[in-house]
Amino acid sequence: MGVTCVCQMPVAEGKSVQQTVEILTRKLELLGAEKQGTFYVDCETYHTAASPMGNQGQQGKLMYVMHSSEAPLSCYALFENGPCLIADANFDVLMVKLKGFFQNSKANKIESRGTRYQYCDFLIKIGTVAMGPSARGISVEVDYCPCVIVNDCWNLMVEFMQSFMGSHAPGLPSVFSNKHESVYSPADTMVQYMELLNKIRKQQQGPVSGIR
Amino acid sequence: MSGPGSAPAVRISIESACEKQVQEVGLDGSETYVQPLDMSQNLARLAQRIDFSTGSGGEDEAGGSPSGRDWGASEPEDEEGLVKFQPSLWPWDSVRNNVRSALTEMCVLYDVLNIVKDKRYMTLDPVSQDGLPPKQNPPILQFVSKKKSLTGASHILLKGAERLTKSVAETQENKRQRDFNSELLRLRQHWKLRKVGDKILGDLSYRSAGSLFPHHGTFEVIKNTDLDWDKKIPDDYCPLDVQIPSDLEGSAYLKVSIQKQSPDIGDLGTINLFKRPLPKSKPGAPHWQTKLEAAQNVLLCKEIFAQLSREAVQIKSQIPHIVVKNQIISQPFPGLQLSISLCHSSNDKKYQKPTLEKSSTEDHLYVLEHNLHQLIREFHKQNLSSSVMPHPASAPFGHKRMRLAGPQAFDRSEITSLQQTEGLLEKIIKQAKHIFLRRRTARTIDSLASRIEDPQIQAHWSNINDVYESSVKVLITSQGYEQICKSIQLQLNIGVEQIRVVHRDGRVIILSHQEQELQDFLLSQMSQHQVHAVQQLAKVMGWQVLSFSNHVGLGPVESIGNASAITVTSPSGDYAISVRNGPESGSKVMVQFPRCQVKDLPKSDVLQDVKWNYLRGPFKEVQWNKMEGHNFVYKMELLMAALTPCS
Repeated sequence: MGVTCVCQMPVAEGKSVQQTVEILTRKLELLGAEKQGTFYVDCETYHTAASPMGNQGQQGKLMYVMHSSEAPLSCYALFENGPCLIADANFDVLMVKLKGFFQNSKANKIESRGTRYQYCDFLIKIGTVAMGPSARGISVEVDYCPCVIVNDCWNLMVEFMQSFMGSHAPGLPSVFSNKHESVYSPADTMVQYMELLNKIRKQQQGPVSGIR
Repeated sequence: MSGPGSAPAVRISIESACEKQVQEVGLDGSETYVQPLDMSQNLARLAQRIDFSTGSGGEDEAGGSPSGRDWGASEPEDEEGLVKFQPSLWPWDSVRNNVRSALTEMCVLYDVLNIVKDKRYMTLDPVSQDGLPPKQNPPILQFVSKKKSLTGASHILLKGAERLTKSVAETQENKRQRDFNSELLRLRQHWKLRKVGDKILGDLSYRSAGSLFPHHGTFEVIKNTDLDWDKKIPDDYCPLDVQIPSDLEGSAYLKVSIQKQSPDIGDLGTINLFKRPLPKSKPGAPHWQTKLEAAQNVLLCKEIFAQLSREAVQIKSQIPHIVVKNQIISQPFPGLQLSISLCHSSNDKKYQKPTLEKSSTEDHLYVLEHNLHQLIREFHKQNLSSSVMPHPASAPFGHKRMRLAGPQAFDRSEITSLQQTEGLLEKIIKQAKHIFLRRRTARTIDSLASRIEDPQIQAHWSNINDVYESSVKVLITSQGYEQICKSIQLQLNIGVEQIRVVHRDGRVIILSHQEQELQDFLLSQMSQHQVHAVQQLAKVMGWQVLSFSNHVGLGPVESIGNASAITVTSPSGDYAISVRNGPESGSKVMVQFPRCQVKDLPKSDVLQDVKWNYLRGPFKEVQWNKMEGHNFVYKMELLMAALTPCS
């Protein structure tokens, strides 16, 4: 995998999430992208339990455990603004054992599911972000496979994203800001997803909208 | 004889009369004395004086008897003895010789007495007093007695010999026992052995190397002692022998061959035969090492074949693989069959019989046989390394790279590339396809090179190949003009299914496995080469190129490729040569003359002026086959030279 950019696609005026996704996919198909099955990214939230040994500073810090269909054997554990751990899929079992320290808040589980497209060297994943049964937004992931240096391919990626997202093409993601010349890693993708999902979760915290 | 031992009843002391011997009495009566001998000289002298021949009665005390004797008893004897023993170098020599002869005589006497005591072969008779009987003794009696004594002697000799052989055999038996143990030790160094009950069992399977073949592959170690001692022991005798399972006996190999598809499949499974001459079995059993190695080879061949046939059944291909008896048949290309057969000859005579009758073409691909062995060993290694220790307790079992897939976040394509397991059969079929394609390409190029002389084809094969890819560089040149006509250089990358042709200018053409495609392509390249050569030649000769086309749209349609054409003019501009060359139609050369040189040009009313004479006239075709020159480019050079006016 190469440099990946994850961004949010706002829902079009007067359209449902589903319809906006359809518009996007139709555009991609017209470009000539090939459909290649589905994908998912899920994110579970753990908060540190009040343990006798736990120090006060860590109180209230959230840990996110994420899975991605792109790397089916891996499991990611991240803190906000903190380190990102990549582990075996067995990590979930470990988390169950650590119930005393980290407690899973089931209600906060959020995931993005959708279709995976390939267009030459680009991998495009358009997903519907959902918390429980309700669709909350649209995520767009664009992966330029042949390159691992952000600076070398960012302009190309922006140009490509503009071709199907129009004016909604994102600016430089914050993860890239200190990565201009260094090698891009899969963990960076997950950090972007975490930020995006958190953003969507917070946005919709007030007015909960069901499937329109 | 008289000795002191007989009866020393009266002791008499004897002493010499005079202490010093008189050597000389001078005329005045004075006596000169011989200096008395010292002790050792005296002893030596005494010893020399001993006369053993006279003292045969007292041998037992041979050393002691002379001590009692009066050494000065007889002067002449003394002198004689001195003369006799003078030449001997060592004073005790005579003593030793005499003692030895005495011992010999004693032994003989002892033996004779023994025999006499037995009274079977010899008796002692009182000798008759009259002297006549010996003469009257009839010769027959003498003969009988001689014979008797001889047989007696021979019996004794035989008995001794028997005793000797027995003791020798005993020591050899001991040695052999020791040999068995040392052989066992050597066997133990190379093979796995274990003791079960009172048997020693060994393991010749490849299980410890990672094989999963269910054959137990055990052999038994036997002590080979039931040898006939009377017979001569063969040179290659070994006290240790091994007994291998009956189904692993004999020798086996895998035959891989590619043939044109046989029209009938009636004799499937029986064609594989032992064409290979059986190694001359030496008299006597082969050494255990060779026996075990052969058995192990049979086991490995069986394993490969079992693996291949399992895959052949499992893998779905467009044309299903056929497994019949000991043969696997697959179709790599249409009309072509790859057959892999297991040839196992046990030592039974009946199995060998029919093999001799068959005579199939020897097309065994040794490379593929070797590669099969290599592949199964890789397979073994893979099995072994997947479960190799040490292993992290928390990690899933499997390949090491697979273990890293999680923590290093491998994506889907990387994981599938890890999991991709190509079977033995698929690999070998791919290799067979490549080998076949390479052979056919070589044959095509060679046949073209030998058939067509004018543009020459050179093929440079690379020495080092991958199992799935090899490359050849093809040059098309004209003889004598190699330096100026280098336009066509092709790189042919021969893969598994297709041939990639890389042109000198970077164009890539992909040809399928069909022979005809390559041949047509090369033919069209050769035809283009001629026109390129004319272009190069024109540059050298100072002619100018007016037009050049690799693919002419005019004229007769070629069945292969397109015709190419070129038009060049002479430096002065008077003449022009136009060449059209097609892969099928061949070359056509036309020359255009200046108008003034054409005699039979109809006079035109319009072109009256002289200046029109400098226009070019019509084209005339050159009878190319009547031109002088050994090849196209040379002919062209001559033509150009002829049309260039000397200045």
